[in-house]
Amino acid sequence: MAAARKHKRMAASQPGFLSFNSGLDGNSSDIKRRKRVNKNKKKNWNKYSDIQDVEEFLDDVRLQEKAAGGLIAEKPDASLFFVDTGEKNKETQPQTTVKKGKRSKPLRIDLILQPDSRIPAPKNVLAFQQPNAKKQRRMAEKAARLAAMGVLPRREKLLQLRRAAAASGLPVKETPVANNNPARAFYDLWSAGTPETADPYYLEQTKKKLVKRPDRLNEKPSVLPAIEVVGPGGSYNPDFFSHQDLLREAHEVEVKKLKAEERLARQLAVKEDIATEESSFKEQVEGLIEEGDVEPEEPEGGSEDTVIGPTATQEKKTEKQRRKEKAQRIKELRRKAERQMIDKQQQLFQLRSIRANLKTQEQRTKQRQAQRKANQEAQKSMPRRLGRLKFQAPDLDVQLSHELAGSLRGLKPEGSILKDRFMSLQKRNLIEPRERAKFKRKYKVKYTEKRAFREIV
Amino acid sequence: MGGLQKKKYESGSATNYITRNKARKKLSLSLADFRRLCILKGIYPHEPKHKKKVNKGSTAPRTFYLLKDIRFLLHEPIVGKFREYKIFVRKLRKAYGKAEWGGVERLKENKPVYKLDHIIKERYPTFIDALRDVDDSLSMCFLFSTFARTGKCHVQTIQLCRRLSVEWMNYIISSRSLRKVFLSIKGIYYQAEVLGQTITWIIPYQFAHDHPTDVDYRVMATFTEFYTTLLGFVNFRLYQTLNLVYPPKLDGQGEISLKPEFEEDYALESESYTEKLSALSASLARMVPSAEEEETELDHFPIEGEDLEKMEVREKMEQEQIKQKKFFEGLKFFLNREVPRESLAFVIRCFGGEVSWDKSLCIGSTYDATDETITHHIVDRPSIDKQYINRYYIQPQWVYDSVNAKILLPVEEYFLGVTLPPHLSPFVEETEGDYVPPEKLKLMALQRGEKPQTEEDEEEEEEEEEEEDDEEDDQSEEEDEAEDEANLAEMEEKRSRGKSLSVKVTPGKAKAENRKRAAEEEKAEEKRLAIMMMKKREKYLYDKIMFGKKRNVREANKLAAKRKAHDDASKEDKKKKKKKC
Repeated sequence: MAAARKHKRMAASQPGFLSFNSGLDGNSSDIKRRKRVNKNKKKNWNKYSDIQDVEEFLDDVRLQEKAAGGLIAEKPDASLFFVDTGEKNKETQPQTTVKKGKRSKPLRIDLILQPDSRIPAPKNVLAFQQPNAKKQRRMAEKAARLAAMGVLPRREKLLQLRRAAAASGLPVKETPVANNNPARAFYDLWSAGTPETADPYYLEQTKKKLVKRPDRLNEKPSVLPAIEVVGPGGSYNPDFFSHQDLLREAHEVEVKKLKAEERLARQLAVKEDIATEESSFKEQVEGLIEEGDVEPEEPEGGSEDTVIGPTATQEKKTEKQRRKEKAQRIKELRRKAERQMIDKQQQLFQLRSIRANLKTQEQRTKQRQAQRKANQEAQKSMPRRLGRLKFQAPDLDVQLSHELAGSLRGLKPEGSILKDRFMSLQKRNLIEPRERAKFKRKYKVKYTEKRAFREIV
Repeated sequence: MGGLQKKKYESGSATNYITRNKARKKLSLSLADFRRLCILKGIYPHEPKHKKKVNKGSTAPRTFYLLKDIRFLLHEPIVGKFREYKIFVRKLRKAYGKAEWGGVERLKENKPVYKLDHIIKERYPTFIDALRDVDDSLSMCFLFSTFARTGKCHVQTIQLCRRLSVEWMNYIISSRSLRKVFLSIKGIYYQAEVLGQTITWIIPYQFAHDHPTDVDYRVMATFTEFYTTLLGFVNFRLYQTLNLVYPPKLDGQGEISLKPEFEEDYALESESYTEKLSALSASLARMVPSAEEEETELDHFPIEGEDLEKMEVREKMEQEQIKQKKFFEGLKFFLNREVPRESLAFVIRCFGGEVSWDKSLCIGSTYDATDETITHHIVDRPSIDKQYINRYYIQPQWVYDSVNAKILLPVEEYFLGVTLPPHLSPFVEETEGDYVPPEKLKLMALQRGEKPQTEEDEEEEEEEEEEEDDEEDDQSEEEDEAEDEANLAEMEEKRSRGKSLSVKVTPGKAKAENRKRAAEEEKAEEKRLAIMMMKKREKYLYDKIMFGKKRNVREANKLAAKRKAHDDASKEDKKKKKKKC
């Protein structure tokens, strides 16, 4: 800035410069005496340096530029002056101008609004600029280079492919088909494809090869078959005896259930001593009547406590007593040892019975082992406890004798296969037993009668 | 002792298991998604041996998984898809909420889908593994294919299930691998032998559905999703093994395109082909059109001694099986409209029979009821107006029983309006000493190739049977007697009184009896009073029990009487026949 200012001042002091304002001379600044201030602070530079002359000069420059379109000093003389050769014929001109002017003369308001400055407006840079021009230019260059090499951009390639497909009538890109699409295609899943030759580690890391499924997972959680065929009694036209067997089975299940229910009822039954008027009255009065009797007892109880509280301190044993006790103990030990010795010797003669004993013991363990093994085996086909609920076997599907239809036409199917399948899944430990979530209303339902309804009733 | 003190639950079973909730959080999935994932991947909850240890001292019942299983799940690419789907749903909901229909469309177009192919490959490394486990998927597919399109599950799923089950049935027909059929009160059980594996499945009767409320449809749908994929791949491979075209194509297009006018009535043009496939009346096209099914002969190797004998036996068996596979060949069946069409058509076609039905009943009928060459007309009504002389009118059970017996049973017992012999379960294998129903004995005799016994013998046998029945009745009556002790006591008294009339009366005895009788009466009275004093709920229960017991007795008696009446009737018939002869 300082440099610019200096420059301007230099311009002002130039001999060739003509000022617009006639009063502008270099004298006015010289009259005032300069105040002495420290110049080592920037604040002071601004405050106390006199730039009046520069300002005025610059103003003048701007005014000249605005009004005359440049510094007057730099203009050629011909543009500033003309030779006055007197008036030309005025009469003809005004007529034509008036006639013309009425048409073309702009409105005064427009004239006011028109810029009166001779300085041309600065060019709107943004109007001519393209966003990302450089990038686009580079991209275009690159594309041109690639095209020269014969590489097409992706979009172009896809377009060509699509066109080719439309021409040949085959879809190029397979849109993924939903799993349950009825028209979905299948292929030979188990055909031996080309074996992967790439590095297995690479394949695993790039998720091209899945993690191997542990063999443990291919074992079934239950040994039960997927489809359990109903017994011969479940036939639509069963043999009499097998039907009776099935009925008996169902009956037994039902009886068991009833028994459980009855037991529960018995356990929950209200006991005989139901509150009568008398007993309830007694209960109400209980504390009130006996209070008088209780009070005198209290001090008695307190005295008893004091008697019982501290236990009697034991007398210290004398030396003699200790000695005696010790001797007794040793004697006892010795006696036991002797007894053991004798027993051991005696066992020699009991060999037979001991052997028999051992045999029975072994037999028992073997039996238990077998039992345990059988239990474990049976456990394999039992439903496990997999969650909050236990598996409950569904009711047997039974048709009573009078419900049996004589012919296939009259057959009324029993039970639902859907439920059967669901239960089978539970029974085979594939899913945990569940029950339908209970519907719980958050708020109480408020019933209101509509006014129209009320009016009628 | 040195070392740090061991902390509880930091090693052993406590670290081997993980609770369901923790597993869910580890995978950062919702519970529903977690369940889905576990079902698809075949990872099941596990019951630890020491629950308290695993549960860190708590005894609350929880669902546990093995930690290693869950770690394995972490590698599953589908988990990512589940998360994507969750986000998709969220975006879709938002777009709907803002009514941005363009956005909704775009989102729907890019709906994330996942494939189960790799999971199936992983769970069933070989085709035979998959085939062994196909029971479940068959039952589920057949079940879902019968669902009404009511929004209990996706319509697409139902259609896919239908397609797969039809494909399976067509395969069984063309491979002739059906072995057993059993009509139970629940549904129809089928058993087939495919590539050496015994496969059992159940099909519900048509129109038998009421949707039970206590079944988790979401779980079932997830299982079905997995099973449909499995069955699809299995079907493909099976079709390949038989050299059939997959997806199945009907053989001999010309024959079927003869009657297009009915098709239009029956199904839309787009659906008519699948409907024709599901009619099961036409055979499938093969990749390499073979002129005739070549008789597969066993390779002969020069063998000596015992092996030779074994080979001969095996060869004989093989030939028998081949014979059994087409014992309906040459027979022409016509199904009346009241019989279960699909099941019967399937079974008959499985054994080489020709089958047709009324053309208004279903698409794909090949001949009319008026066809003179029909040998068996299957009817399930008491009588029929117009009957042709040159065909048997039989009830549908004949087909099933014949299939189970693997021979053509005598048709007499299955004629129109005749009380049918019991339908025995082919899945029961009697061991020595078990009770074998007489019908089965007869059947086994027939299978052995013996002629039906002379009628006298039969009668004897029947008498024996009757005796057996009587015994059974006695047994059931014994049960009655246990119930009605009071009655029985009275009877005894009467009897004893009758006896005492003839013999001299001794006063002491009479008194004792009186006392006894009084005690009995008192007991009965007490019981009666107790019943009167019962609470309403207990009384209801009691009534129920008593009713059940009485009903059982009644039914047993009824059945016995029925059997006896039937036997008598049949005996009389036979006698009449004899006289005629």
